[in-house]
Amino acid sequence: TSWLRSHFGTARELDDEDFASVIPRLREKLITKNVAVEVADDVCKSVEKTMSSTKLGTFDSLQGAVEKSMIEALRRILRPKREINILREVAASKAKNRPYSIVLCGVNGVGKSTSLAKLTYWLQQSNYSVLIAAGDTFRGGAVEQLEVHGRCLNTPVFQMGYAVDPSAVAKGAIAQATKTNADVVIIDTAGRMQDHESRMRALAKLIHDNQPGLVLFVGEAIVGNNGIDQLRKFNQCLHDFTPMNCPTRGIDGLILTKFDTIDDKVGAAVSMVYELGQPIVFVGVGQTYQDLKVIEEDVVVSALMA
Amino acid sequence: MVLGELGASIKNALSKLQTSPVIDEEVLDMVLKEISAGLLRADVNIKIVKSIKDNIKKIVDFEELAAGTNKRKLIHQAVFKELCAMLGSGLNSYQPQRGRPNVIMFVGLQGSGKTTTCTKYAWHYARKGWRTCLICADTFRAGAFDQLKQNATKAKIPFYGSYTDTDPAKIAADGVNQFKAENYEIIIVDTSGRHMQQEALFEEMQQVNAAVDPDEVIFVMDSSIGQAVQSQAEAFKKAVDVGSVIVTKLDGHASGGGALSAVSSTRSPVIFIGTGEHMDDFEPFDVNRFVQRLLGMGDMTGLIDT
Ligand SMILES: Nc1nc2c(ncn2[C@@H]2O[C@H](COP(=O)(O)OP(=O)(O)OP(=O)(O)O)[C@@H](O)[C@H]2O)c(=O)[nH]1
Ligand SMILES: Nc1nc2c(ncn2[C@@H]2O[C@H](COP(=O)(O)OP(=O)(O)OP(=O)(O)O)[C@@H](O)[C@H]2O)c(=O)[nH]1
Ligand SMILES: [Mg+2]
Ligand SMILES: [Mg+2]
Repeated sequence: TSWLRSHFGTARELDDEDFASVIPRLREKLITKNVAVEVADDVCKSVEKTMSSTKLGTFDSLQGAVEKSMIEALRRILRPKREINILREVAASKAKNRPYSIVLCGVNGVGKSTSLAKLTYWLQQSNYSVLIAAGDTFRGGAVEQLEVHGRCLNTPVFQMGYAVDPSAVAKGAIAQATKTNADVVIIDTAGRMQDHESRMRALAKLIHDNQPGLVLFVGEAIVGNNGIDQLRKFNQCLHDFTPMNCPTRGIDGLILTKFDTIDDKVGAAVSMVYELGQPIVFVGVGQTYQDLKVIEEDVVVSALMA
Repeated sequence: MVLGELGASIKNALSKLQTSPVIDEEVLDMVLKEISAGLLRADVNIKIVKSIKDNIKKIVDFEELAAGTNKRKLIHQAVFKELCAMLGSGLNSYQPQRGRPNVIMFVGLQGSGKTTTCTKYAWHYARKGWRTCLICADTFRAGAFDQLKQNATKAKIPFYGSYTDTDPAKIAADGVNQFKAENYEIIIVDTSGRHMQQEALFEEMQQVNAAVDPDEVIFVMDSSIGQAVQSQAEAFKKAVDVGSVIVTKLDGHASGGGALSAVSSTRSPVIFIGTGEHMDDFEPFDVNRFVQRLLGMGDMTGLIDT
């Protein structure tokens, strides 16, 4: 009867039975597409809430109406609430004769250093000069990795070797950029687990000591439910570990890498933006310098609903 | 503890069996619903979650059960059995043999932890007195050879690689031949990260595989991976003869359920887990003992036929 009800009813309000006949499948679809479980649940709840106060028209199908509402909900999540215009900020900083600085942070192996190289390339396309700061003084080969990129991109790398305070590297790099009139300093950091307190404190210190123009969290599109936990704790730690008498600050935006590995399982994009409420500034779609793109919300939503 | 959260949610679900006065279909459904939710939050592939649920329902068929059967015990056993099956209990992995070369090739997605894990694996055997060595057949990633070199140097393990050669198959073959001639027992070949959408890189992996004819191929997986894990794991298995799996980064907050359950797509057991960035953050993995710990059970080895 529910099929009949949904197809041949007169205009009427929706009830729990209606939702029970369509929502679980949509929830499952979202999870299959790699939306985090708690986010999928929230999205479904919000769809139910919006729909319960609307009337289903005589010729509307229940399925279609609920899907439409879900598409709207997903779009709403992905739509940036705040714009981050890096080029404009770089220009403004340049006008004040100050290098604009960007810190990249995130857990291990997500693509921070590669994204740093891609960002460098992208800024060079707009004729800005970049100084790369080798702020990962921990992982074997991290400095050499950036030096290879520096050579390929013909851009200087500021490094102080391994086992030194990354905050000092960032400071040194910003000083050098000021001296050499580099427009942008991009600061690499070592990957760290969100629960590793001493490492999180060190990151907070680097950020508070150097007050960069932009703090970007780098995450992977292939990450599962752990993605939101990473983001929540990185953001929280930056706030919590702010030294006394300093203004607190958190993560300004996201880079989501490895989009090329996930086909239509694009759910992490929704989960991460939902968690943080900050925009995805770029997505990584491959391993070459050009593989840095701006996310297209509609493409993501279509992939999720397909 | 690794996967502690998943364990807690399953234990919590099972405890409902203790508190319900009667065990009927309704109680079982509630328990299964909670277990499924826990598995999904731990990134276990949604299809696997469904089949686990169906299998348990089949084992605990209330209409077929003889009167007097201890249903609580039956459900406990069914859950234990399904989790063990998901994690590939009973599958055997390659056992390196002393006094002859064992060539082990590491493969996996970008940034999953291959290079780090290669050294951990070499170190694990070196400490037990084996003659181990490392070969860097990653000619793609910037700084890859430096990374392996620095790790190997720290562990005092001989290594082979090239800054200039661009053919990974040739480097791998040269390295293996050299180390074989020098009577090394464990010869580890590190390869570049790749994913199934990169056909050319999959072909390259097959070329390296053909060039070194490994005794064992180890697939390295990041524990934070989400719903895309299944298809990627299957594709690797199809391209090369993956024999075992190592799951990394379990020191973080990741549940690791996706990576662990991908064992069912590779039909290869998890042999070690990575629990940190350092050389000895590495533990052998035993499915049965793991699931027992996970469910907080005593010794259950007698309860299942492996
Ligand atoms: N397919 C694909 N691979 C990527 C992308 N971004 C980065 N990678 C690869 O991911 C691997 C790790 O990248 P890195 O940039 O070294 O990651 P990281 O976050 O700096 O790693 P750590 O410094 O060790 O924490 C490399 O093999 C990169 O080529 C992407 O968008 N797509
Ligand atoms: N916390 C933690 N970090 C790990 C673990 N295993 C590896 N890592 C880190 O993960 C990052 C990536 O590791 P790599 O060994 O470079 O990964 P890979 O698979 O060789 O990367 P590509 O060669 O670029 O594909 C590094 O920062 C490692 O230190 C682990 O078990 N725990
Ligand atoms: Mg890095
Ligand atoms: Mg590597």
